Amino acid sequence: MVINKRIFVIAGLITILLFISIYSLNFYMNTQREEVVVDRMEQILDEYQEIQALSLMSNAFGKEMTCLSLESTLSHLDKTLWDTGLKIDQYREVTEQFISDPFYLNQKKKFNRNEVIYLSMLENMKEACNINQSVLLYFYKKKEECPDCDAQAFVLTDLNKEIDDEIAIFSFDSNLELPSIDALAVFYNISSFPCTVVEEHTYCGLHNKNEIENILCKYRDHSIC
Amino acid sequence: MNIGYVVLVHVVWFLSTYFVIVFLLAIFSNKKILYESPKLKESNKLPKASIIVSAYNEEGTIANCIESLKKIDYPKELYEVIIINDGSKDKTANIVSKYQSKNIIFINNEKNNGKAACLNQGIGKAKGEYIACMDADSIIPKDILKKIVPYFEDNKIGSVTVSVEIMHANNFLQRIIRLEYLLGLSLFLKIFSLFNCIHVTPGPFSMYRKKLLDNIGYFDTNNITEDLEIAYRIHKSGYKIANCMTTSVKTITPNNFKGLYRQRRRWYSGALLTLWQHKDILMKNKVGLFGYFIPYNYMLIASGLGLFIFSIYLTMSNTFKILSYYALTNYNFFSNWTFNFDVLGISLFVFFGISGILGMVLLVTSGLNASRNSPKKKPVLYLGYFMLFLLYQAFWLTSFFIVLTKRKVRW
Repeated sequence: MVINKRIFVIAGLITILLFISIYSLNFYMNTQREEVVVDRMEQILDEYQEIQALSLMSNAFGKEMTCLSLESTLSHLDKTLWDTGLKIDQYREVTEQFISDPFYLNQKKKFNRNEVIYLSMLENMKEACNINQSVLLYFYKKKEECPDCDAQAFVLTDLNKEIDDEIAIFSFDSNLELPSIDALAVFYNISSFPCTVVEEHTYCGLHNKNEIENILCKYRDHSIC
Repeated sequence: MNIGYVVLVHVVWFLSTYFVIVFLLAIFSNKKILYESPKLKESNKLPKASIIVSAYNEEGTIANCIESLKKIDYPKELYEVIIINDGSKDKTANIVSKYQSKNIIFINNEKNNGKAACLNQGIGKAKGEYIACMDADSIIPKDILKKIVPYFEDNKIGSVTVSVEIMHANNFLQRIIRLEYLLGLSLFLKIFSLFNCIHVTPGPFSMYRKKLLDNIGYFDTNNITEDLEIAYRIHKSGYKIANCMTTSVKTITPNNFKGLYRQRRRWYSGALLTLWQHKDILMKNKVGLFGYFIPYNYMLIASGLGLFIFSIYLTMSNTFKILSYYALTNYNFFSNWTFNFDVLGISLFVFFGISGILGMVLLVTSGLNASRNSPKKKPVLYLGYFMLFLLYQAFWLTSFFIVLTKRKVRW
């Protein structure tokens, strides 16, 4: 045999080195992913503080002065929240192909809590500032318990892209067992998943885009109606 | 994510990456000796050689084959050609009979006995110390015997294989197969020979020590890949199989997918049956590294096939799922589509896949660099080779099915 047996050892070492490099790169990327999510969550918190300030100003200086800027802040926050929700889900999916990272679960809880806060603020300000946005709540569970939930999320994402300025969608993960989400589920009489609440009316089960559009148009005039 | 899939990805990645790196190291460290071949000692006289050709319905190719045999640069009295017509239904017998001479012997069988039986019949008649078996649809250069015979001066060498090239590359499929042969049936065989792990003595042209054939009992007539099966027995008998890259045999390859499928179905089914037939060598030191190389190779094939099936299943189920989602949005594919690439959204799977593809590209490029008469390195050729590799997974799948269901494979 002409081949030096050391080749097998060297090849083994190179293979292990490559494997470690790939995992290290993945580890680095995971750190970057977590930083992106944390940054976005901080951005959301900053925007909350801005909304809280505007809300207080509205009490002190009158609604006319603050409603205009509040509306644009809420609209921006709505987009940030939606994008952050999608980002967390995307990164969570990518990461959990190999490891179960508690980070994303914690961030998802934080995110859902923030959504409840935002929803409450929006409900408070809606009437005072005459905000013409439809509010849509979407309750879901993991796919093992709710096979249609991913499909419903797909429909809502598509709709949100089309009439982003006209609706505010809040998605609540009922698997997180947050008291605030559970309370909302009881309040809106969520009996099964997926379940969508449009303008205080509950629609459980999977609905396609046309059906959701018809429901939205029933309560408010939108560009799609 | 399915844990089975994750495990498969890791197993295939480890097995294939290690395999590729061993190969690359072997190519780099032996680049200078790949085209070296031993010279016959001047004191030694040339030995007698026999070349056996089995022909079945080869009226279109046999004349070229014999013409190439007639031109061999070797003393006429020291080589004989034995051509056996295996009950052909065409004009093969007529053509061969015209070439009969002192050293071109023609045996005409009325009945079709199969290639292995014909080769055995020829070996039985052969007077040579070394015996080459050749396909009737192949041609050889005149220097072939002078290049090969010196290898047998090493008493441990039982058989010598040569580079197998394709005669015509008229369409894209054949150009890819030419690349495949250039690597798989030339360079890789040479590398295998350095590890003493050659697993096949290719049918187009391989030479054997007569003493070895007498010892191991010629070709197995029940095996559909007799050139592969005999390689196992050569290893078992303690002999080595060498490879000579300085000479080659040119052969015909299928020019369409149907032909390619039939050829590979036979090769792969035969390979699996041979593996089962010689399972006693697996993980055994008695055949050296070969006893470990074979199970490694088939483990890689089986796990790669598992990954291939699993990936197809996942891709299809995801496609159906996404399409069912789009059905809910009236197939609104593009109206709201925005390109939003996020590098952080790339998963570990993709890195494994990219490193695998890069490894393959590196292996093909290094192989082409190390080989003479390499075609130009065109991206389309790489892509075609990669696609062919995927197609072979389907062929392997069919072959596994054939073997497991004990179906008969025809030539």
